[in-house]
Amino acid sequence: MSVRTGWLALGLLSFFGGVAVLSGAVGLGVGRGALVAVACGLLIGAIATLSRRRGSREQTGTPDPERTYRVPAPGSSLADAIGQLRETQGVYTAHSRRFVDGLRTGVVAVLTRFEGRSAEEAQGRLEAGEWTDDRRAAALLSKSVDPPSSSLRRRLSAAVNRETTFRNGIRRAGASIARIGYGDGSAASDSNPLPKYEETDSTRTDRDPRTTSKRLRGTEHARERATEYWTGVGAVALFAVGIGALAESPAVVLAGVVGVGYAGFARAFDPPVPKITLDRAVSNESPEPGDEVDVTLTVTNETDRLLPDLRLVDGVPPGLTVTDGTARIGTALRPNESVALEYTVTARRGTHEFDPALVLTRDPSRSSERQVYVGEDTSIVSAPVLRPIAAPVPLRATAASFAGRLQTTDGGTGTAFHSVREYRRNDPLNRIDWNRHARTGELATLEFHEERAARVVLLLDTRIDAYLAPSPDDRHAVDRSVAAAGRTAATLLENGDTVGLAAIGPGRSTAEEGASSKQEPCWLAPAAGRHHRVEFERLLATHSQFSAVAPKRGTQWFGQLRTLRRRFSAETQILFFSPLCDAGSLEIAQKLEARGYPVTVVSPDPTTDRTTAQQLAGVARRIRQFDLQRAGIPVVDWEAGESIDDVFARVDAGDMR
Amino acid sequence: MSDVTRRPTSVSRTVAFGGAMVAVLAATVGSIYGFGIGVVGLAVLALGLARGNRDAIDVGSLAIFAGVVAGGLQGESVELTVLATIGTVLAWDLGHDATDLGEQLGREAETARLEAVHVLSSLLIGLVAATLGYGVYVFAAGGQPIAAVVLFVLAGAALVVALGSGRDSGGWTGNANSRRR
Repeated sequence: MSVRTGWLALGLLSFFGGVAVLSGAVGLGVGRGALVAVACGLLIGAIATLSRRRGSREQTGTPDPERTYRVPAPGSSLADAIGQLRETQGVYTAHSRRFVDGLRTGVVAVLTRFEGRSAEEAQGRLEAGEWTDDRRAAALLSKSVDPPSSSLRRRLSAAVNRETTFRNGIRRAGASIARIGYGDGSAASDSNPLPKYEETDSTRTDRDPRTTSKRLRGTEHARERATEYWTGVGAVALFAVGIGALAESPAVVLAGVVGVGYAGFARAFDPPVPKITLDRAVSNESPEPGDEVDVTLTVTNETDRLLPDLRLVDGVPPGLTVTDGTARIGTALRPNESVALEYTVTARRGTHEFDPALVLTRDPSRSSERQVYVGEDTSIVSAPVLRPIAAPVPLRATAASFAGRLQTTDGGTGTAFHSVREYRRNDPLNRIDWNRHARTGELATLEFHEERAARVVLLLDTRIDAYLAPSPDDRHAVDRSVAAAGRTAATLLENGDTVGLAAIGPGRSTAEEGASSKQEPCWLAPAAGRHHRVEFERLLATHSQFSAVAPKRGTQWFGQLRTLRRRFSAETQILFFSPLCDAGSLEIAQKLEARGYPVTVVSPDPTTDRTTAQQLAGVARRIRQFDLQRAGIPVVDWEAGESIDDVFARVDAGDMR
Repeated sequence: MSDVTRRPTSVSRTVAFGGAMVAVLAATVGSIYGFGIGVVGLAVLALGLARGNRDAIDVGSLAIFAGVVAGGLQGESVELTVLATIGTVLAWDLGHDATDLGEQLGREAETARLEAVHVLSSLLIGLVAATLGYGVYVFAAGGQPIAAVVLFVLAGAALVVALGSGRDSGGWTGNANSRRR
């Protein structure tokens, strides 16, 4: 402050000196030389100040609450994908940097699964390079195979750019492995271009999809900052004054004076303290997934002073996307004036709470900015639709002790014909084949497929490894699982089966910071009836384990699985919804099956093949699927474009895929 | 899904370009050099406004102002130079304003009212400052001693520094480069 006072004093002193000279009271013997010196000093000062302007501008960046959280596709990095391939062979050194070794493991893995080779045989084919038609891929993975001779130009470029050559080799090897993994004819996939080595997605932004993760009511002042908006205008003004004085040009001096006016304007104000209230109205608080919901946000200036500069970004929940209109507004508000902001969001399944709105106010000259969060509790709960599926749910044929609609292979009472056997004493009259008796006089008894009620628990994989989607904006696997679980439950309940619900996912200890409710892991014991159905729907919509937003950390699922196993009663069937994109999901299914619970896996497929890593992650998933099926656990593969009705109808027709 | 278009908003951008046009035309009257520099500046500024590039807006406005100064040195009309200066500052100010708004709120957001307030306040400040300066100029037209001119210039410089130094002692934190494009 003392420096400032000093300059102020100097300025005032000079001003009064000038006035004194003008009025003739004081005569100073100053000539042109002094004027030139002062002007040059001003020029140097101006340039120095201007150079400081570069990079000094500041403003608060705004997040992108209009977007949802983006979930990755399986195989986000090559090391990760190769780690997955190695895990399928029981090699747990994830994130190994030695790609070639990992790919060799991968080749053995696919050859032993999909071509029925023994491990030694697969190793032999790998060394001899007979596993693929692609000589370059074979040469990369085996030292005993010579790479095909190539043109001089190609060899030169290979020598110059070893990185590219290596990457091309990896791409070719990955594509060759995938070709075996998918079991198509290799000729058909030759025409497909190689996938990219890594993703170069320019549309990706690092902006946060939330304004803030804090929960608050009312107003919270975050900070005040200078925007340095007018920095440099004073310097330019001085420059003009200096030039004008040198050239004795009143026009240029006056131009400088105008600039000085703006410099003063920049310093004149403090940013107003906003006191605004928000009122948010949604057209439908419990829409069905996919419905459009209109949001109207009314912003009111509660002070009796003008708010000259108000910028507002509404805290659209991270699980919702704005599909029409925009959740931002910039305006000026007179005292007690209101402005309405309207936009439309598309509902997705789950509970969505609005985050506090981000409010930025500036003073009239825009040289300082205040950042404020204003909270207003609004939430949208979108429950999945419990509409039954026409096709039967693919359950394992196993006997339970209560009558129901699950047809078993045992003969007995029921409706569907099973067989005819000899009459035994005490067989009920209505099951005697009277037609045969009339024809031949023999007594025979009709057998029907026994029908039993299934006791089914729908187990959902909602660990962080299940929040995967083919492309960042697609529905992720957990979302698809929850929707399918709702419809499966509706189908089973309608058929008189008892259905329970459980999940393995973010538990109490790892509940997201700031989450409104830290809940126990989801568990709903198998039951039937109207009340049970309502409870089922409520849990799917609101339980924190079925959140539309991925958890921040992984889950310690061993403990959860142990608790669940104690809860399952004997003869409980388990329908496990999991994308099968990590070793953990495989292990969960295997452990449950080993304990004697018949497991069926319904697996929404989130894999894609834009890059080599994603392609290899897809292969790893197919290997897991194969291993489960080999262990007798049916896996229902559910591709991204398919509806669950189509999938179950396909399985009913006998195509497990 | 609607993405935010983080590009300069339209109203401020249009006014900024208009101000720059006025500045270049007014500077042209006096001097052919002023015209040359001004047109180059206008081109750079237009590029900056289209892309939302702050450096281009800075450089373009400075070039236009250099043209205005050249015009003022060669030309006779004080009034046109002052008008051109206001135009230049408007172009620079609103160019940055449009960029800021575009980056924070995006082009789709409803910002017309806010931009109108900015245009008016900016224009008002320029007019008031110009009127005051011009008043003093008309009043004091005549032969002043050179020492008085020097002292007035010094006074102006010291006052600007004094007003501006509060900025450095404010103690704001924040990464200066993080928000720049």
